[in-house]
Formats: sequence, C-alpha cells, structure tokens
Amino acid sequence: MNIKTIDDATVNQRVYQLNLGPQHPSTHGVMHLLVTLDGEVVIKIEPIIGYSHRGHEKMAENRIYEQFLPNPARMDYLSGMIFNHGYCMAVEKLCGIEVPRRAEYIRVITSELNRIASHFIGAMDYAMGLGAITPFLWGWDDREQILDLLEGIAGSRLTYSYGRFGGVRNDIDQAFYNGTRRFIDRLRGRFWDYENLINQNIIFIKRSKGVGVISKEDALTYGVTGPSLRGSGVKYDVRKNEPYSAYPEFNFEIPTREAGDCLARYQVRMAEIEQSLNIIEQALDHLPPGPVRSKVPRFVTPPEGECYLTFESARGAVGFYIVSDGSRIPYRIKVRAPSFSNLFAMTKICPGHFLADVIAIFGSIDVTVPEIDR
Amino acid sequence: MPTAGQKKLLEELKNSLTQAVPEGQVEDSDYTRTGCHLEVRLDQGGMRRVAKVMLDKRFYLETITAVDFIDHFELVYLYSTYYQDVFRVITRIRIAKDATPFSVSAIYPGAIWLEREVYDFFGIRFQEHPDLKRIINPDDADYFPLLKNFGKTKFTEEIDDILC
Repeated sequence: MNIKTIDDATVNQRVYQLNLGPQHPSTHGVMHLLVTLDGEVVIKIEPIIGYSHRGHEKMAENRIYEQFLPNPARMDYLSGMIFNHGYCMAVEKLCGIEVPRRAEYIRVITSELNRIASHFIGAMDYAMGLGAITPFLWGWDDREQILDLLEGIAGSRLTYSYGRFGGVRNDIDQAFYNGTRRFIDRLRGRFWDYENLINQNIIFIKRSKGVGVISKEDALTYGVTGPSLRGSGVKYDVRKNEPYSAYPEFNFEIPTREAGDCLARYQVRMAEIEQSLNIIEQALDHLPPGPVRSKVPRFVTPPEGECYLTFESARGAVGFYIVSDGSRIPYRIKVRAPSFSNLFAMTKICPGHFLADVIAIFGSIDVTVPEIDR
Repeated sequence: MPTAGQKKLLEELKNSLTQAVPEGQVEDSDYTRTGCHLEVRLDQGGMRRVAKVMLDKRFYLETITAVDFIDHFELVYLYSTYYQDVFRVITRIRIAKDATPFSVSAIYPGAIWLEREVYDFFGIRFQEHPDLKRIINPDDADYFPLLKNFGKTKFTEEIDDILC
C-alpha cells in the first residue's frame, strides 16, 4: 500500500480554501461559495454563480412579447406571480395599455399571497439553516395553503403564467375568495406560535444578533434592496416609494429595523407577512366589480422606444428594461435581479465572521439562485 | 405630475451634471412613458464623472447593461434613490464596438459584478476593473451570447420573418 505523507508545513497551514457547494444543503439552489478561511474565520468569500443560467434575456430576443409570458415566473420561482405581473406591467407601460381596476386588485391579492409564501421560505429556511427544523415544517404548512389557493385560479403551483397584457387570465371565483378569507384568519392565529417558537429561542437569538451587519453606506454603494435593506433601517419599498398597480389605494406600513443584522432581516420578513395580510384583506373588502381584462390586440406591437419599470418582489426591487424597435419581437429585455446585488453585498459583510455565520448570513439575505443566473 | 421635491432635485441634478459632463446632453424624460425622470446622453466616456455626481447626491446604482445596435453599443446606467421622492436617472453612453470604457467600480463597488455581467454577455472590456472575468457563462466560453449575431441561423431568421 502506498501511503502519502503530509509534511508539517501543510498540516500547520492556517489559511486554506473551502468549497461550499455547488450542492450544499444551505444554498437552496445550485451555487458555489469559495471561502478562504484562517482557521474558522472567513478572510474572503467568492460566490461562483451561473449553474442555472438558462438565457432568459436571449430567449426574449427570439420570440414575440406574448411568448415570453411564461418566462418571468421561472426567473424567481418563489415569487413567480410578482414577476409575471411585473412583466405584464412593463409591456403595458410600453404600449400604453389600460388595466381594469378589478384586475389591478386581483394582481395585488395574488402578488401579496405569493409574497407571504416566499417570505415563509425565506424566514423559515433561515431558521433551518441555524438548526431549527420545526419552524420550517410549520412555515411549509402555511405556504402550502397559499399554493393551493393560487393553483385554483392560476393552474400551477410555482411557475404561474396568470397575468395577461391588460389584466389577468380569468376572474377569481368564490372558492378562492372564501379560501383566502379562511387563510387570513388561520394565519393571524398562528403568529403567536411563531413568536413563541422562534423569537424567544435563545440559540436563534445568539446565532443571529449582531451577525452580518449591513451598514447604510454599504447598502447604498452595493445597491441592496428589499428586506435586506429595510433591516438596515432604510425605509425604501417600491410599493410605497414608486407606487404602481393599485398599491396607493391601500393602507399599509413599511416595517424597518435599525440593527442591520440577520435578526433584523428575519424580523422585517415576519412583519411584512402581517402587512401583506392587511393589504389582502383591504383588497378583498373593496374588490371592485367589472371586467378583469381590457380589450387588447391578439398580438401587441409596441411603438419604438424603451421603458424601465420597477416593482417590489419578495427579495427587492426588480426592474424590467425593455427596448423596442417597433416590431413584435422585443429588441432587448434586461432584468434587474435584486438577489444579484444582494448576494454581491454578502462578499463585503462576510469577512471576519465564522464559517457557521456564513450560512446564517446567506440564509438571512434570502437569495434565489435562478433569479441571479437568469 | 412631479412633486415639489422632485422639481427641486431635478434642477440641482441638472446643474451638477451639466458641470460634470459639459459635452453631454442632459434632458428631461417623460416618466409616465419611460419610467425615468432625467436622461443623460454621452459619447464614448464620462461615466465616472456622472457616477461621482450621483454618489454625492446619495443615489444607488440600480443596474448596468448594454444594448447591441449592430454598428455600436449603448451602455445604460440606471440610478435611483432611497431617500427622496422617486427619481430615476438614466445614462446612455454610445460606444464603438471595440471601445474599452472605464469602470465605475472604484465609485460604486456594486458595479464590479454588474460590469462583469456586461463583459460576459457583450464582450465589452472595462478599463481599471479589479477582476474582469466571466461570471455567468462558463470560464472557457468563446462566445458573447447577447450579441445580435450570436445564435443567428437561416432557420431562426425565417422564424423571425414569420413572427414579424
């Protein structure tokens, strides 16, 4: 047998590189983190992305606007409904299409339901990253109710294609209306459980408090948006700052925390779930009658020009930049992915932390890998 | 209708930007149609001077992208702000196909990845970039996928003719 001996210098070497991923349980997606460590302290971290690149932006240049409708939901599969409606809004802005008020309300209801589902994954998966398995299963249970509701009207559970230019595909039915009411009541009763299960947990607090602080200055220069930004005390939410759809008609708060650490980001997500419930309830109370889709041509032909439309997904400000050359095929579609900028900010905040904290920071920023890679 | 805060900011920004880039055109943009309030048009360079002004005014860099117009590229920088009323500034820079524009990553570190992405998809090499390499496509790729001539075959052109 040939046994290789390692010399003392190699054994005593303190600085080394460690590969987290591409298939690591905590990266919920195919992502590779190349971490340079000194003992157990991170010196440098380099995310290597692109494993789930499908070329959505190139695909857009080879098909008409309607054919691209199923794609946006596949960029961020956790908040697909929001992306789907966002793409429709961008094309409507480019073509100057009016949307009926009832359709706007339905868009808000479905988007907020989807936001809750996405925040449950973000927050509970973070808790699981810290070793707590129960909250993950509880959150999954609540999320499952939402997926059932959305499946009832949109036909699919994750990658929705429910929005249409000038409205939505079909009206909501009584089953959806009643089911959403029941879901709101059920979830309101469970907040107390989550509070007791997670927020008082000493291990959870010790692992997240003061870990991975994003300063306001870093957030600005790295372009961080979404709950990660609001955890740093900046009150910026596209729904309020740059109102779109029917959001100006609803009364809701933008929760912020000053600390900027992992705990703050988690708390912002949980507080946003409550605000989303308020929005849905108001929308259901004042759901206007009327059509859900305006008359638009079978194929839209936008005029020459370009437009940028931004909206708030569960992870931050998404932007669709569409350049049209006056034909039925888009000349260029660029998607501003919030996770892309948020993940890069992580390379700034990780050095100096322990390796175990990298998992916590990664979970608390809550990135979706297919959205980064597009 | 722009609010009073937006109007004030618009005037301030216009003055600072015309001072910083006197060779460029600083114009109002129709927000309801384009989603931007102010548009800066430049030839070849000046992105770093614009970026400095925007950082002074506490804007964040939303994204950098490029558009391939067959005979030239257009580099697009989008800035927006957290702190005031909604305000978006778009900077379009027309560059030649073989140009090497300057990187803004010294001003906005977040641009490191955004510029890597532009290089990855369009082959635009940024000068003074700390780490210019592929980001999403494989390291050994010899193509730039978002160029208009990439992936064009006789078949796809026929499909385009049918669709248009």
